[in-house]
Order: sequence, then C-alpha cells, then structure tokens
Amino acid sequence: MALFSKKNKKEKGLYLSDKPPLTVAGIIGLVMSYTILFAWVLAIVWPLFQMVVSAFNGRQQQYIMGNENFEFSLRHFEFLYNETYYLTWVRNTLFIAISTALLTLVMVSFTGYAYSRYRFKGRKASLMAIMLIQTIPTFAGITAFFTMHSIVSSVIPAFSRQMMLILIYAGPAIASNTFILKGYIDSVSTELDDAAKIDGCSNFDIYRLIIMPIARPMLTIIALWSFIGPFMDYLLAKVLLTSPSTYTLAVGLFTLISDFRTMNQPAFAAGGLLTAIPIVIMFVVLQKQLVSGLTSGSVKG
Amino acid sequence: MATYSVHLKDDIGNKYERKNKYLLQLAQLDEKIKQEADSNKKTELLKERKSLVSNKKKHPHNIRLEEFRKKEGEFLNSLKSNVAEYKKTLSEKTNNQVKNLKTRMYHHEKRIDFYKEYSELTYEADFKYRESKIHVEQIPEIIDFIEGIEAELFQAIEAKDNLDPKDDARMKEDLKSFKKEAKEKRDKEIQKVKERRKEGIISSKAETNAIKEVKREYKNQVKLQEYKIPSKENKDFIRSKKRELANGIRRSEKVLKADVADTRRKIPVEFEKSRPVVAYATILLPGVGQLINGQRRKALFFILATLFSYFIAIPYALGYGNYQGEGVAGLISLAEGGARVDKSLIFMIEGVVAIFLVLIAIGLFYASFRDVLKTERRMIRGIRPTNWFETKRTIFQEGFPYVTSFPAMLVIIFIVLVPVITTFLLSFTNMNPQNQSKFTWVGVDNYKLIALGEGLAGSVFWLIFIWTIIWTLVATTLAILLGFFLALLVNNDRIKGKKFFRTIYILPWAVPAFITIMFFSIMVAPGGVITEILNSIFNSRIEIKNDTVLTRAALILIQGWLGSAYVFLLTTGVLQAIPGDLYEAADIDGASSFEKLRRITVPLVLFQIAPLLVTQYTFNFNNFSVIFLFNSGGPFDPQRYGNLAGSSDLLISYVYKLAFVNQYQAIAAAITIFISLGVMFFAFLGFRRSKGFKEGRL
Repeated sequence: MALFSKKNKKEKGLYLSDKPPLTVAGIIGLVMSYTILFAWVLAIVWPLFQMVVSAFNGRQQQYIMGNENFEFSLRHFEFLYNETYYLTWVRNTLFIAISTALLTLVMVSFTGYAYSRYRFKGRKASLMAIMLIQTIPTFAGITAFFTMHSIVSSVIPAFSRQMMLILIYAGPAIASNTFILKGYIDSVSTELDDAAKIDGCSNFDIYRLIIMPIARPMLTIIALWSFIGPFMDYLLAKVLLTSPSTYTLAVGLFTLISDFRTMNQPAFAAGGLLTAIPIVIMFVVLQKQLVSGLTSGSVKG
Repeated sequence: MATYSVHLKDDIGNKYERKNKYLLQLAQLDEKIKQEADSNKKTELLKERKSLVSNKKKHPHNIRLEEFRKKEGEFLNSLKSNVAEYKKTLSEKTNNQVKNLKTRMYHHEKRIDFYKEYSELTYEADFKYRESKIHVEQIPEIIDFIEGIEAELFQAIEAKDNLDPKDDARMKEDLKSFKKEAKEKRDKEIQKVKERRKEGIISSKAETNAIKEVKREYKNQVKLQEYKIPSKENKDFIRSKKRELANGIRRSEKVLKADVADTRRKIPVEFEKSRPVVAYATILLPGVGQLINGQRRKALFFILATLFSYFIAIPYALGYGNYQGEGVAGLISLAEGGARVDKSLIFMIEGVVAIFLVLIAIGLFYASFRDVLKTERRMIRGIRPTNWFETKRTIFQEGFPYVTSFPAMLVIIFIVLVPVITTFLLSFTNMNPQNQSKFTWVGVDNYKLIALGEGLAGSVFWLIFIWTIIWTLVATTLAILLGFFLALLVNNDRIKGKKFFRTIYILPWAVPAFITIMFFSIMVAPGGVITEILNSIFNSRIEIKNDTVLTRAALILIQGWLGSAYVFLLTTGVLQAIPGDLYEAADIDGASSFEKLRRITVPLVLFQIAPLLVTQYTFNFNNFSVIFLFNSGGPFDPQRYGNLAGSSDLLISYVYKLAFVNQYQAIAAAITIFISLGVMFFAFLGFRRSKGFKEGRL
C-alpha cells in the first residue's frame, strides 16, 4: 500500500485504477446504492436500538410506550433478576441445549461413521428409512409427546419434561445429521483408515483416532446447530413445559408480554437483550462455520 | 435323503480327509449311489447303506470312538485332581500369574500325552492335541518374560531403598544450572528468529513455527536432563517396567488365542448330522441353539434376547405390564368400556409401542435363528464353530456398525416414529372436546370434514390454507429478493465499508427470532413506538393488531426483515466465490451490467442456493413462531373464522390451537398429517438434488 500511495503522489492526475472511470450515471447509481444500503442499516438497527433503549429506560412502566422520555436505569434488569425466573430459564435453556448437542453429537458421530465406512446388511434400507424420517417435521408427533411423557414418568419418576424435550430435539437431529456427517466422511479418502488398520487399529481406534479428528469441523457445526435449535424453539417447549420454573427462555420471556399477570414489557426488553448479546456474538464470530453447515447438508429449514 | 460328502471343507475351501471311517464309508456309498445309473444296483447300494446305518453301533470305528470317549472321561476326571495337586507343589513364593501359567502348562502337557495317540482316530482329539501343543510351546516364553521383568523390577525396587539422597540433591543442583544455561540459549535463539523476521527474511508464520520448535527443543533437553536424577530415573523405570509387564502378558495371551483360533480354522469337525435341525428346533428360544453348538458366551447374549422377548416384549404386547393399556389389543378397543381413568390416547400409544417391541423381538429371533443355522451348516461342511475369541473379533469388526448405531435407532424409533404413528392413527378417531378421555375409530371422517370444509373445526380450513399459501409465497419471496438485492449492492466493487454492512445485515439472523418478533409485537401494539409514529403521520388512530390486513402486512414485512439476512448471507458467500474473469470476459464482449447480472450472477447464485431456498419456503409454511408470538394468530374475526382460529393463523398455529387450546386433537392430527406430507414432499425434492443422494452413495 505504501508503495502505491507514493506513486500516486508523484503522478497526480493520472488515472491508475483497474476500474473504468465513473460516468455520471455511475455516480448516481453509487449514491443510490449507498442510500439504499444505509436505509437498510437503519431498518435493522432502529428496532434493535429501540429494544436497548427500552431496556435501560427507567421511565417505562409495565408497557413500553413510544412517547416517553429517557432516563437511564437498571431497574428493569433488577426486576428481571428479582421478580422473574430469568436465571432459571437461562439455566434450563442451557441444560436442554447442551444436553441436546451432546446427545446428538455422540450418536451422530457413530452413525455417520458407520454408514459411511461399513457395508453391512440392511444398510441401504435403514438409510432410506432415516432419509424419509428426517423429512417428517418434528411437530407431527406433538399430540403424543405429552402423553408419552406421562407414561414414561410413571415408570421412571426422575424422567422430567425437560428430558423428554431433550430427546424430542435430539431424535430428528440425529436422523438429519447422520446424513450430513455421512456425506462429510464420505469425502474423506479411506486410505487413512486402511493404513491405520494395517497398523493394527481396531474399528473403535479408527473412529477415535482417525475419523473424529478429521470430522471435527463438521462435528463442530452439528454441535452448534443442535445447541442453537432449543434456544430458538418456542412451540415444542411451550407444549411440553407447564410450570414457569421449568420454562426455557423463549417460553419464559413470552410470559412477560403475553400474560396480564406477569406483563412487564421493559423487563422483556432487558431479558431479550441479555439473551441476544451472547448469541449475536456467537453468530458473528462463527458465521462461516454456521453457514457452511447450512449449505452442506441443509434439508430442513 | 440326507447325504454325506467324502471330504470335509474348511473356511477357505481346503479339503480334508474324513477320519471317521463310518461316516467315510457312508459318504463313499452316497457318492456311488449318486453316480450309479443302473436302478438294480442302486437299490442294492441303498440296501447296503441301510444296513450300515442300522449297524452303526457295531462299526469298528464307532466302537473305538466309544472307547475313546470313555477313556477321555476318566482322563479328564483324573486330570482335575492331578492339576490341583500339582498346584500345591509349587512354592508359595512364586507369583500368582506364574503359578497359574505353570499349572496351565502342566495341564496341557498331560493333555498332549493323552490325546496324541487318538489324534488319528478323530479330529476332536487331533484338535485338542494341537491346541495343547500350542500352549506348551508358548507358555514357557510367557513365563520367561514375566520372570525376566520381575527380576528387573526386583532389582530396581531394591536399588530404590539404597539410593543416596546426596546424589539426588547434587543432580538437582546440576539440573538447575543446566536449565539456566538452556534457557539463555533458548532466549537467544528466539531473539535471533525475531530479528530475522524484522529484517523480513522469514514470514510471520515461519517465525511462530521456529519459536515453537526452539521451545520444544528446550523442553526436551530439560526432560532428558531430569532423568539423570537417580530417584526420578528409578521411579520411571519401575513404572515403565510394570506397564511393559501388563501389556506384554496381554499381548502374548492374544497371540496364543489367535494361534488357537487359527488351528480351529484348520482342523475340521465331523458331524453325524447332515441337515440343520437345531436352528429350526430352537427358533423360539434364541440362545439355546448357540448353547447346543457349544458357543456358551454367545449364547448368553441371545438368552438376554430371549428374556427380553418373553418377559418384556410379548407380555407387553399382550397387555401385561402396561401403564394403562392392553398392548396391541388396546389399539382396537381404545379403552372402550374400560375404567373411568383409562384414556384412549394412552391405549393407542401403548399399542404402538407394543408393536415396535414385538418387531424388535422378531428381529432378535430372526438374528438368532440365522446365526444358529449358519453355524450348523458350516459344521456340516466341516467348519468348526467359532469360539468367543473369534466371535468377539467378528462383533468388533462386522458388528461394529450395528452396535454403534443401535442407540440412535432406538431414539429414532421411540421419539420420532412412535409419536408420528400415533398422530397418524389419531387422525382416524374422534378425539374432540366431548370425547377427551375415551374416543373411538371413525375412519376417514376427519379428512372428509377438512376436504369438504364442514364442521366447527373444518369449516375454516380452506380459508387458513389459502392464507398459509399466500403467506409462504409472499413472505419468502420478499425475503429472498431483499436479501439477494442487498447482497448484490454490497458486493459492488465500488462500495466501501463492506465489512460494516455485512456485519449489520446479518443481525436479524443472529438475534434470536423470538426476541425480535416479540419486540416488534410490542412496538406495533397500541401505544407502541411504531403505532405512535404511524398515528402522527396519518393523523388517525391505527390499530395494527386489530386489523386483519394490517396484521398480515406487518407479518410479511417482519418475516422479510428476518429472512433477508439469511439469504443475504448465502448469496454473499456465492457471489464472493464467482471468479472475476467471467465478468472481465463479459466486459470485453461488451456486456452491460444488467446483462452481466442476468446471464452470470443470477444463474450462478440460483444454481447454488436453490435447494436452500426451497427449505425457506417450507420453513415459512410452518413458521409458528412469527405468527404466534406476534399476535397469537389474531386478530379474531368470529364471523369468518369462528372461535377456533384468528385471521392470521397458519395451518400450524391452527393445529396448535385445535390440539392444545380447544382439544380437537383428532382433526388437528389430520391437518398435521396433511401438512407433513406436503413438507415431506418438498423436503424430498430438495434432498433429491443434494450431493449425497445424486452420487448414488447410499
């Protein structure tokens, strides 16, 4: 860069760019482009900004009103902390999300490996079955989940609704991610496996020492998406979880704006803000991985 | 009639002579009968065979065999006591492992003596003889190995007590000074590398690598030096020897077993049976067949399968041990005439579960049957059944995919399939507010109601369906166009601050959707920010949430806002990957920028992200969150939508309201099935195009 600027100074007036010079139409187009781009920036930032402002505005009462003045205060956060189950919701959501991710990861890592590397009896049939199953939307079984849980919990009292929810999230995730991981491992040459086998590795050793390290990028993506899924879901959590102390964030925060007894919109803004910040950071930082996960095997939205 | 073959064959097809003269004679006769064309002679031969079979016990070979069996029994009895006595003579001092090995050695030596003279008589004795021989050859080596290492260990432990603490202290001092020196040297090296980087001779990556290497080298040197401390060296020596001992024994045992297994493969069995019988006889009792074939540990696993089948699966299917239901029968009765607390839905679910349990049991039965049959058939051909060592190896090799994907399959069956099938069955019942706990089968009535748009719940179906379709098409297309257009603009060469725009533009995707939707919902509520602004612009009171058209428009705009970020992200990725020379070539050919867009950019982008866009449509088709969290499907319009649905409800939120608010579960199930089939169809379309499917690598 330094080199270029020196030259530019010396030969001022000379047009050195690779691009053709701007015409008048080009300039107008560019100005319009910038206008549109900034307008969209505004369209995105303004609502989010409103949320931040309402979260910190001590003047806001139970409802967020548009015409009130601003006064900085943390009282909505205090309310959230003291008067609601916010921290419990965070804990619940994390518990559910992490368990789902782990369960999915462990099972998928095995099935993906098995389906990619072994030619066993019933492989094709079961693979087709899994392929069909993973196209079934999760909510299709929704009426049965609740009753199923009461049946199981009558046998095993420790089996909580949250555990049921974890299984419900993990089941379809296992089915669809098996495909993604299988495809990924397929693209890895089997020469490494063969070499390891000759060196005396057992199947499990190959899985542990060869395949897992190679598949780590894809496993990270699978874990990430299985982790994010429970964060974003409202429907299943709403159907299964019934008491406020078991809610996840999505269900819990909704009670702050939907139920007259617990209505507190600024507190919702505060809670939403607290929830959004770590997730936004995660999304922005891990953007590339998350997108590649979507493009590599996305079948479901 | 069952016939015998003259030769026995092993795994890889090697031929072996029969040792059993009686069976050999039979086999030879069989051969002759087969080749004989003349029917008279044939009947004669058959007669001869018959007499041979009826005089089986008098056959000289069988007599000798009988004798051998008797003697073997005596021998084995005496062997046991002999071995026990021998064990006592071993000195107390010897270590347990060596003692056991020596006893084993003695045991096999005796066996060699006994079986040697019968090894020509039968393959059984031959095998036992050779098996013992392998043991006798290899055990002494193991004993030597153990004793050698034990001696070394003993010395080391003794040396440990005699260590001079002064030596230790001195060496530690030495180490300190050595460390200091090495550190200085290391720092100097690092300094050198850094200087070279400053001069621009090496790249920054080479710099970090070189520094890493220097540091590693230092660490290694220190480690080496540390071992000069006597106490540390001694400790480490003992540890490594102990490890060597354990590993060595395990390895030698494995070699021994592998050798025995190898002999098993090379020495055939002779079997009087010529047809698999056990497999069919024990088809209902997995495990017993394996037991008869002499595979005891394998049998144990299949006996577990028997226990599962007879004590869990079948009783459950018959209605025992159910939570409420009656097993499979519950599917038909649906708790009709049952107690008050009995719920049809529970009966239904338990029926479905029972069916799956039975299917699993049948699968296990079949697996066991196949296993026994295979083993038996191989035995008839002359192949010895595998022992546990071999079976284990097979399980770890060929059984690996089954064993590892079994838990996943269980989860998929019970968490995905059982509920989905229940929903499917539910759609053929009349579960509604009047029939909550007890309902009956009603056939396709629900589907009829929906199709004809009749009944309380069905009448609004088509209305909602049309809005769902409009919503899906408009909202998704809006998001796609917005995202695509923005990506094009940002990707323009002349636009500066690309990073800034890109980071801002993915925010709607990064902020959890439920939060933004809820906040939009607050903002358009009466008194909310947006409402206030609109009111001041139009100078009238606008209530978005109470107006069907406005609510729908707001929903579409919000979804456009939310969905565009994702499309933007995908498109940007593709745009960045389009090689620039395509555009240069187009420039040279005199293409306008619109033509470049139409002929290069759009086709390339569409080709890559089309399957993902299909999923966007299916996603919005079922986008429960945005509808429910924004306005709970409202505003309500009882005149057109009745009391069950709001005017912005999609099919999925309608299903939710039907099933969980108004208790019309059966109709909800029917609609769910309808939606699911549609979604599955589109998912399949998208899937068919995916790489994994296309390449035929299923």
